[in-house]
Amino acid sequence: MTEVVATNQTILVVGGGISGMTAALEAAETGAQVVLVEKRPYLGGRVSQLYKYFPKLCHPTCGLEINQRRAKMNPNLTIVTGAEVSKLEGEAGDYTATVKLSPTWVNDNCTACGDCAKVVEAEFDDEYNYGMSKRKGAYLPHVMAHPMKYVLDPAIIGTDDAQKAKDACKYDAIDLGDEAQEIQFPVGAVVWATGWKPYDAAKIQPYGYDRFENVITNVEFERMADPKGPTGGKILRPSDSKEAKNVAFIQCAGSRDRNHLYHCSRICCMASLKQTHYVVDAYGDDADVSIYYIDIRTIDRFEDFYTKVQAMDNVKFIKSKVASVTLGENDNPCLNGVDTEGYHRYATEHDLVVLATGMEPSVSVDSFPVDVEINREGFIEPAEKNGGIFAAGCASDALDVNRAVQSATGAALKAIQVVNRVARAEG
Amino acid sequence: MSEQAEKKYAAYICTGCGIGDRLDAGELEQTASRDGRMNLVKQHEMLCNRDGVQMIRNDIDKEGVNHAVIIACSRRAKVEAFGFNDIAMTRCNIREGVIWARPDTDEAKETTQEMANDYIRMSCGEIKQMEKPTASGQQSRNPNVLVVGGGITGMTAAIEAAEAGYTVHLVEKSGALGGHAARLHKRVPFKAAPVGTLNSPGANLPMPEDTGIADMIAAVEGNGNIKLYLNSTVTKTSGAPGRFSVDISTESGDTTTENIGSVIQATGFNLYDPGNLPEFSYAGSPDIITNLEMEELANAAGDGPIKRPSDGKEVTSVLFVQDAGQNSTEEGRLPYDSGIGDLVSIKQALYFKHHNGASCDTTICFDNLRTPGAPGEDFYRSGQKNGVIFTKSDVREITPGDAISVKMHDKILDEKVEVKVDLVVLDLGMVPNSGPDPYAANEALESLSDEDKAEELETQAAHAADETSVKVESILNLDYRQGTDLPHLKHGFTDSHFICFPYETRRTGIYAAGPVRRPMDMKQAMDDATGAAMKAIQEIENAAQGRAAHPRVGDLSYPTFRKEGCTQCKRCTVECPFGAIDEDEETYPVYNEARCRRCGTCMGACPVRVISFENYSVNTVGAQIKECEIPEEWDEKPRILVLACENDAYPALDQAAMSGEEISPWARVIPVRCLGSTSLSWVTDALNNGFDGIILMGCKRGDDYQCHFVRGSAMANERMAKVGDTLETLNLEPERVVVHEVAITDIERAPALIKDMEETIEKIGLSPFKF
Amino acid sequence: MSETNKATIEQYRNSFLSEVEANVEEGEWVKMCMQCGVCSGSCPLGKHWAHPPQEIFMMIRAGKRDEVLASDSMWMCTSCYNCVVRCPRQLPITHIMHGLATYAKKLGLVPQNQPTAKFAEIFWNNMMKKGRVNELKLGLSLYFKDGFGAGIKESLRNKDLGMKMMKAKRMAASEFFGGHGVKDIGGVQKMIQKAQEIEDARMKKFD
Repeated sequence: MTEVVATNQTILVVGGGISGMTAALEAAETGAQVVLVEKRPYLGGRVSQLYKYFPKLCHPTCGLEINQRRAKMNPNLTIVTGAEVSKLEGEAGDYTATVKLSPTWVNDNCTACGDCAKVVEAEFDDEYNYGMSKRKGAYLPHVMAHPMKYVLDPAIIGTDDAQKAKDACKYDAIDLGDEAQEIQFPVGAVVWATGWKPYDAAKIQPYGYDRFENVITNVEFERMADPKGPTGGKILRPSDSKEAKNVAFIQCAGSRDRNHLYHCSRICCMASLKQTHYVVDAYGDDADVSIYYIDIRTIDRFEDFYTKVQAMDNVKFIKSKVASVTLGENDNPCLNGVDTEGYHRYATEHDLVVLATGMEPSVSVDSFPVDVEINREGFIEPAEKNGGIFAAGCASDALDVNRAVQSATGAALKAIQVVNRVARAEG
Repeated sequence: MSEQAEKKYAAYICTGCGIGDRLDAGELEQTASRDGRMNLVKQHEMLCNRDGVQMIRNDIDKEGVNHAVIIACSRRAKVEAFGFNDIAMTRCNIREGVIWARPDTDEAKETTQEMANDYIRMSCGEIKQMEKPTASGQQSRNPNVLVVGGGITGMTAAIEAAEAGYTVHLVEKSGALGGHAARLHKRVPFKAAPVGTLNSPGANLPMPEDTGIADMIAAVEGNGNIKLYLNSTVTKTSGAPGRFSVDISTESGDTTTENIGSVIQATGFNLYDPGNLPEFSYAGSPDIITNLEMEELANAAGDGPIKRPSDGKEVTSVLFVQDAGQNSTEEGRLPYDSGIGDLVSIKQALYFKHHNGASCDTTICFDNLRTPGAPGEDFYRSGQKNGVIFTKSDVREITPGDAISVKMHDKILDEKVEVKVDLVVLDLGMVPNSGPDPYAANEALESLSDEDKAEELETQAAHAADETSVKVESILNLDYRQGTDLPHLKHGFTDSHFICFPYETRRTGIYAAGPVRRPMDMKQAMDDATGAAMKAIQEIENAAQGRAAHPRVGDLSYPTFRKEGCTQCKRCTVECPFGAIDEDEETYPVYNEARCRRCGTCMGACPVRVISFENYSVNTVGAQIKECEIPEEWDEKPRILVLACENDAYPALDQAAMSGEEISPWARVIPVRCLGSTSLSWVTDALNNGFDGIILMGCKRGDDYQCHFVRGSAMANERMAKVGDTLETLNLEPERVVVHEVAITDIERAPALIKDMEETIEKIGLSPFKF
Repeated sequence: MSETNKATIEQYRNSFLSEVEANVEEGEWVKMCMQCGVCSGSCPLGKHWAHPPQEIFMMIRAGKRDEVLASDSMWMCTSCYNCVVRCPRQLPITHIMHGLATYAKKLGLVPQNQPTAKFAEIFWNNMMKKGRVNELKLGLSLYFKDGFGAGIKESLRNKDLGMKMMKAKRMAASEFFGGHGVKDIGGVQKMIQKAQEIEDARMKKFD
């Protein structure tokens, strides 16, 4: 039975991505008691699935390492994974949180030795790689996962595989009797950091993501570039595993579009410029990149990153929202549209097309479990009525990592203000 | 544990996770007690479980164990279980570091066991040189936050810190609060369209809104926890977080001295000088104005129409030139953009639609329209809905006249166009108001030859002496060895270099917020101010307990030096990436614990090895090097010393082992806090001891550095460039010592680099220094 | 130049966009275009357009009145609605194109012998006579629009199709003589008249 020790001076952080981790750590390192609730079995969220950051082209796992070290060492922070907040009642300084815990079947005895994974047989799509590779039914989500514990896929529970995993464990870390439960605890303030998910590219019918193998999304491309990813870091066409040297990026795939997301997702321009580097780094002069865009939104200091890519001989910018993708020769996606700078029609084939899909909030507008002010796009707006609930990161708008962390740091202070008020009132 | 308590050393060997199967645990135990001279050695089949942890806890509590070596998994694993903060403790990594890094074959058995034995000897040697870290006693809790700058950022920071229960001293140079924001007519809306908003030209979309500045000023003035200093500047800042002493002076010279815990610099921006853009003829007509002047024009209109400055004629057409002087590669122009200019111009165009009627022509000439996020894109729609015209174009020339002529290239219609308008507004960029960069001179010098350097220094000195030259005024007047103000990152912004850590600062306890840190709009500035206030109060709590700030959060160890050995060479005071060390009158270093980030760059810099931390020193690493057993030459087992940055290279090696990569059996890896802490003596000692090769693995250096301590990796690289002399004296090949940049993702590459060294040694032969 | 044309030029001196908003069906959407070009790329007849929709919108905003209204581009629209469903700003592009065409016609600015314009006129006149379209006459009027010789040639070229249609009872030769109409032709005409009034009133609100 998971127990959470909390009071109305405790801060609840919902979501353990970079925003939630930041808010939780900043508050805990200032002395506040923090409970962090994360839906996945590990922390780090979407950032843990990125290969490099713009504009430095450094590795997100580097910051993740630091943040995880901070988390491991902080006695003020309680992390609950596999958990979702289903209800939040009360007011600032006096909330009751109801949290649903999924069964994990693996306890803290797990040493991540990996013996369970060796014996189970069933394989599943690896969600860490957006389904581009397989993983076992007992698996370590990724090599940096924190908590560093193996996870059992719910689908193997009740099968022989589950029993095999249990039998292989020397440390009594697997408990097949584990069941879902619901717990309640008091909290004083809440940081809501549920983050984003990539927009479902299959909904953009003219681009054929669901029909053409060589049309992929930017989050998938990111996994592809990662040496730990499904292709071992090689940029290959899914249809025939040939090297993809001629790559097109379609910007605003879902964003700025009343058929999909009204908002601009802010990060996609920089993400594609970053991913252009992956192609150029891999294939040098043989690389041939085309970026189809409406506006290149490299905001403030990022401009020089754009300037550098513009200066590359083998990168083209086409001001156009691509009208449709059709199938050309050899499974080449063919992009059709009009370059609006002077009206030029094109029908151009590429080896691989990357859809710069936008961000949408993880939590649907229709099923928000707490009463806060939400805009048309499902992002939380700052408002009086939100009381002691403060949005952090991409729950508040489409933000890049830097701004998400900035927002989360601010949200941590807002939460601290509430619990400090409670503390003062209670002497 | 009292200071006099007898030292009792214990080693705990875990045999779980296959350690017991792969290695001879009895032999490990023997190594720890015989070679490692531990007073107590115990084995446990699963040391990290409740029972194992309790065993150690009992020994600490009842047996007086105060120095322990945990011989088990990597220091990155099971941190919570082995969190024995009340003793000196080290981790000996024989899981990821040994058994997982080596194949489970009969052939490999002997070398694998040797590896484990070595690591145990090394850790036992290390623990003997370690003490439990305790704070210095310099610390005290000082709940006073200094905020410099009374614009929207500064006011927000003040209100938010005060709201959390801290006292704020708000210093504003001018006679009024509000900064640029107080000059604005309206602000860009903060929110996006609400749920249920339809997509139609008649939809109710966000419009320019009241700035809220008057309320904010009232809130600051009415807050009992905020002490306001108008017409004042900071004339001196000395001390360290938790004990800053700050002089706040008025123009007449009246000075108040305040004790301050931490500082927020919110000094905002100045508008780029349109005089630098001759093609836009700013000086040629009063009807060609800046975006800030546009706000005043709107304010002056009252309820009536906006009139043009030259003759008071009601404006019937206005054109906005976006990114004027921004996003440019030309010398003297801004290579970045303010990021907010398009939203501002939409807002201002809407002023005309409101004041001068829908028939007033408003054209925004842009190249890439930057209206990001949900509120941004909705405001773009709002502008369009209200009839603002957007023209993707390149404005080339503006000619004053009764009707101002604007020549541009329309990029969509691909043609040259000339239009005549009543008024032109230039979207000018933000220039940070950040004070002089303490390292600007150094950077200018770095690329020069020695001769040019001398010349440049002379020019600089002459320039400094020339009273007519424009000097950037200091804002903080830090009384620091390394300059008066926050270091700049790029283009004068005092931003953090770290994407994950926007409040990372190179002057501990001093946080920049708002457009001085990065170009930003009001909403972001307010968020940023709140974030900076968070860090400022956190630093107050850290300083109160003597804990280090990011990234070695909570570390209580701090550097001290042996004065009798110090040669006053000043290397530590110059090389500290955080400007933490001052100098006294005799140029001995003066450590400021609360400014220190515990990277150990000073320790690496010290040629006479007098700087140390309680649990990390020349000796703790030196002992590990010494305790490593060097096989006789005829054994043909080389030894490779790997000094690996604990933040990136060490985790990369850990992950390599977890992913099934093999690591050379000859490698002996020692984690270091930062490569910058590497003492040359370790290299010399290792070579003298008979190590055949040495690899230093640090983070990326240079402009896009990834070193968590800014300059550590670069400093190490510079110092190692001089190691050639040592090698020459010892008559050794230069390729025996290499420095590599290793990223945390170099899971395959890091072991491969060790393998490369193995091959090099095979080629050039073993070291002749085997004893 | 027609009188209406002169008058409107005077009225909307500076802003062709306002003129379009006031006089063209769905013209108030033109300002919402963000120049992404998805409409231009989505048009199946795209390559026949001298100025694709997105460019026309930009031309309207740039005040290129004559070039837009005298263009034959909007006459190319076949009402497939591909552009409308894809437009990220939901502009009713098809309607705007027809609206522009109608407006150009009203002002007498349609290019000479623009076939679509001609067809529309023939269709309209044909339909208004009997309240329904007489397909035989419509076909023939279309063939003979460019003169007798061309009409004969075009009729012969399509004779097989005509025969097949008659065989399948899709067309009757008897229709050539008068042809049947709807029961209440007066009612239809009234309906059309009313619709015109509503449209005029709608446009008037912009004046």
